[in-house]
Amino acid sequence: MTDTPLAKRDHPITLKGQLRDKAWIYLAGGGLLLVQQFLMARRDFFVRDAVDAATTLRGGDAKIAALSIFAVSIIAALARVASRYIVFSAGRNVEYELRAVLLDRLQALGPSFFRTMPTGEIMSRATNDLTQVRLLLGFGVLNVISSVFAFASALYVMATISLRLTIASLLTVPLLWLVTRSFSTRLFTRTRENQEAIGHMSDRVLASLAGVRVVRAFGLGGSEAAAFEKSNEKYLEKSLSLARLRGSMGPVMGTINAVGVLIVFWYGGALMDDGAITPGGFVSFWLALLRLSWPLMALGFVAAIVQRGRAGYERLRGIFDAVPEVQSGPLVREEPVRGNVKVEHLTFAYKDKPVLRDVSLEVPAGGSLAIVGRTGSGKSTLAVLLSRLMPTPRGAVFLDGDDVCDLSLARVRGSIGYAQQDAFLFSTTVTKNIGYSLDDVDAPDADAKVKEAAREAQVLSEIEGLPDAFDTVVGERGVQLSGGQRQRTALARALLRSCPVLVLDDPLSAVDAKTEAAILEAIERQKASRTLILITHRVVAARRCDKIVVLDDGEVVATGTHDELAAAPGLYAAFAREQALEADLDSFDADTALPVPT
Amino acid sequence: MTAAATNGAPKNAPKRRAEAALAKFHEEGQLNTYDAKTLLRLWPYVRPHSSQMVVSIILLLLGSAAALAQPYLMGQGLDSIGKVPGGLVKAGVILTSLIVLEQAIAFPQMYLMQVAGARAMADLRRAVFAFLHTRSLSFFDRTPVGRLVTRVTNDVDAIGEMFASGALNAIGDLLRLVVIVVVMMRMDWQMALIAFASLPPVLIGVNWTRKRIRSAFREVRSKTARMNAYLNEQVNGMAVVQAFAREEESAAEFDQINSAYREANNRSIIFDATMDASIEMISSLCVASVLWAAGLHAASDRVSFGTLFTFVAYIDKFFLPIRDLSARYTLVQSAMTGAERVFELFENQDVDAPDTHGGEKTDKGVPGAPALALDHVTFGYKPTSTALRDVTFQVAKGERVALVGATGAGKSTVASLFLRLYEIREGKALLFGVDVRDWSSEALRSHFAVVPQDVFLFPGTVASNIAAGDETPDMARVKLALERIDALELLLRREGGLDAKVEERGSNFSAGERQLIAFARALYKDPDILVLDEATANVDSETESRLQRAVEGALSGRTALVIAHRLSTIRKADRIVVFHKGQIVEQGTHDELLEKEGVYAKLHALQFAREEVAVPSGRPPAIKESTPPAPPPE
Repeated sequence: MTDTPLAKRDHPITLKGQLRDKAWIYLAGGGLLLVQQFLMARRDFFVRDAVDAATTLRGGDAKIAALSIFAVSIIAALARVASRYIVFSAGRNVEYELRAVLLDRLQALGPSFFRTMPTGEIMSRATNDLTQVRLLLGFGVLNVISSVFAFASALYVMATISLRLTIASLLTVPLLWLVTRSFSTRLFTRTRENQEAIGHMSDRVLASLAGVRVVRAFGLGGSEAAAFEKSNEKYLEKSLSLARLRGSMGPVMGTINAVGVLIVFWYGGALMDDGAITPGGFVSFWLALLRLSWPLMALGFVAAIVQRGRAGYERLRGIFDAVPEVQSGPLVREEPVRGNVKVEHLTFAYKDKPVLRDVSLEVPAGGSLAIVGRTGSGKSTLAVLLSRLMPTPRGAVFLDGDDVCDLSLARVRGSIGYAQQDAFLFSTTVTKNIGYSLDDVDAPDADAKVKEAAREAQVLSEIEGLPDAFDTVVGERGVQLSGGQRQRTALARALLRSCPVLVLDDPLSAVDAKTEAAILEAIERQKASRTLILITHRVVAARRCDKIVVLDDGEVVATGTHDELAAAPGLYAAFAREQALEADLDSFDADTALPVPT
Repeated sequence: MTAAATNGAPKNAPKRRAEAALAKFHEEGQLNTYDAKTLLRLWPYVRPHSSQMVVSIILLLLGSAAALAQPYLMGQGLDSIGKVPGGLVKAGVILTSLIVLEQAIAFPQMYLMQVAGARAMADLRRAVFAFLHTRSLSFFDRTPVGRLVTRVTNDVDAIGEMFASGALNAIGDLLRLVVIVVVMMRMDWQMALIAFASLPPVLIGVNWTRKRIRSAFREVRSKTARMNAYLNEQVNGMAVVQAFAREEESAAEFDQINSAYREANNRSIIFDATMDASIEMISSLCVASVLWAAGLHAASDRVSFGTLFTFVAYIDKFFLPIRDLSARYTLVQSAMTGAERVFELFENQDVDAPDTHGGEKTDKGVPGAPALALDHVTFGYKPTSTALRDVTFQVAKGERVALVGATGAGKSTVASLFLRLYEIREGKALLFGVDVRDWSSEALRSHFAVVPQDVFLFPGTVASNIAAGDETPDMARVKLALERIDALELLLRREGGLDAKVEERGSNFSAGERQLIAFARALYKDPDILVLDEATANVDSETESRLQRAVEGALSGRTALVIAHRLSTIRKADRIVVFHKGQIVEQGTHDELLEKEGVYAKLHALQFAREEVAVPSGRPPAIKESTPPAPPPE
């Protein structure tokens, strides 16, 4: 835990910066690779000595050379493991740091960013593109260093043994390099096409299954199968095209390599016949040549790795460089927030569409206010603007007299708690969801607090009825909490939060009348300890607040207490009538209504 | 988070509890026992392509033989230097032809295997997809769609990778190992024994690392999944994170996951690198042993250079497959996991429209019978709940019946039962006088067209959505359908017209436009019976009047079952059936029912109040009809 989140913002985010940052690691890895390749060259020479000794009946010399091979091989292996570990972990560190930066940047961005970049796209950047960057700065760097050294080391051995044979055997090298290069680029393209094809098929399956009701109702089973078959065939075709490339790569490389081996065998054999090289030299040369083929192929891949790594990085930049539309203000306030919220002439448009027009209202610290309006009246927008979850215009919203745009985001969002309408729960335990705002959900009193909040939100008994009670994992894949349970769990999460101002956005849309009444009691209790702003269309909820503001089409159309508003003709009174009728109907029992015989 | 990690044991207890709950939860699919029998269940899919596979395996053996003969021939050739004139040339020619043969075989061998594997997987995917479309709707209500998509794509892919990567070539590898040992033993058994003296520790070492690599890889996989899930959730729940000002805490929590991911990867790097380096090292050690042995021999008996060279070359060939072994093993394992999941799905028994009733299926109704009838039907989505209780009513041919009731009264359920999307608990549903269970489900559903409340659009174009089911849309009919609901002009005005692309779930169309497309889709089908579940979504006044006109256009002159919300729609019905708390409480015309001053009168007053509140036309969302939960997208 030495890394605090704050420190992460200091990680270099450019490729160059990362390279510089990890320079010492690369240097250490490079040093080890140098040692390893030097030792491998020694090994080849010792093999030469051993073979020559064995074939010329010098047993003692062979033994010494063999022992030397032993020693050199072991040390070389150790150096190799260490170098790989070091360089690869540099790549992993880059990945780790950039991913931390990524989350940090995402957290600063607002809804307008997430609308332009869907989750899938962000995830693809956080996984695929980041992997490409890691490969560039780990595998790619290692390959370049190790190939250069391996090349030098093998060439040194070969040239020492026979310059003529070396030149002859290297005739195939440019070919091998070119072929690898072209293969790796095409491999990349075809792999991408392959992934696109499976992505397309996946979309097709998703649509077909998500729309299963329509499929059934319209008898679309046959045409859906046909449509799937098309994408299935397409994917098959793409995988086979990739298979052809993958399959031909081995033989083509193998053939080129084999040509090299043949040259060495034939020409080397002839040289040995002439006595130009010793049998030991021949074996040693051959071993060195074998060592050469992998680095050559690896170098062929480097071009593609660099290209993909840079492309991946560019896409990451799209997130790194996104400018947050909401920035923390400079004003420092030490004293605790009292909770006076004032809105003055707030006008707000989403793109070109006006949402709020000249809205003004005020809630004194410890007071309560209901904002009532029909769907689309702008009441939810007003709620999120209070705590700057969207770009609040300057000079419109004040907390204890300070413009929220001047205050630090930590102070504004830390003191104005907003609980959204559509309850998003994290796929963790109920306890962790409800105790989301607790600094330490493991503190001794946390369980009690969580339980109390659940009780207040009228969801306690249902949670206790879950298979693992408070330890049940909720969320999309979890035990399917009903919509109402999810909403009340989210409400419990909001109630548990200790902040001077609590903004509840329509917390009762999915609960029945009896539960609603009990929750309203709990909300009533909340009023005692803080400023409460309740966004609702329910009259029973609104009437409990000190003051009610009626919003219609982005404008304040009425302000007053329940009694005042209910008495006057207008939207609020209409709401009251509608909901009274609803309650009347609901209380009507089906069995008392006379069923008509048919 | 930070504080908790350093705190004492008692405080950590709840955390461990939560962690344990999460671990248990994520266990799904991490099957620990691998059963090779699972792979045998793939046989029916592989069999049609088995001839290609057999040819591939024969070629594999041939290729292996060609590869293995090379070092031996090289040795022979080298030994002939200075002894047999032209021996080197002769060996070289044979060697060249062997290499050519080996490489020439390699491509068809690999490709045939992949073709067979990929085709078998395409068949398997088709089977999974078809299987899913024969599941009952309650199965989809329970299972997240994303998980099902994974079965068709990723899981089948994991199996396919086994063929694509050449993991099956391991058969050839094993054979190679045996042949190399035999050949070396025959050439010089003493030297061979010395060369392979290091083999037992190698095998022990490989086995030791293999297990660790396997668990390291598994850990990497689970950590990767955890990290992606966390990040995904952070992005989706960013509004909550920001509203609760939990950015720092999230970052700290993510740091733990991110570090764990890095550590897991670093561990696997060590094993990976060690494996590679050790193989290289041991191969060197074996060469050294051989040379040492040759030196020892030298005192008594000269070892030929050719033999020595052959040994060195064989040793190189010996260790290559061992190096690949662990990677291949991992692939086979994930293939088994994939197969396990796919076949687990195949065991599901929730069949759509199961054959519970016995007897011959019909595709014709009884002449003169009412179009639709429910006869003392009781139904619930779950065994513990009841959505409909003893419901009986009829719809005559050509009649337009409106079902009305409060939220959750059960009226949407009725339509699902006629289409036999769910099985009735008691009583029966009849279409043209025949029990829905006696209809072949294809014939049954062909009589209906449904306009649902939540319109679902498929990826494609406007036209392909309207002409759902037709490979090439009949444009004249598409236009006719749109004209009847007076929506042709509106959609033609859009960029791309009727060929405009429909994005995922129709997100590039407004709610009103989606509704209109759904109406047109129903009319294109031109069914005997139209089921309309009126949407309660908020639309602007222009769209509202458009939709009202569309309803008229769609319903005129047709048997129709309308789950109605608008007063205008309700009033125009021939008959109104009133649902209340799962039962039918009243039936009759608008005027008759109003006179009764019962449930309908209350509903009417409520709807009147609502439409008044919803000036000019929108309605508040409180009256959303509760349909059974649609499977959430994953």
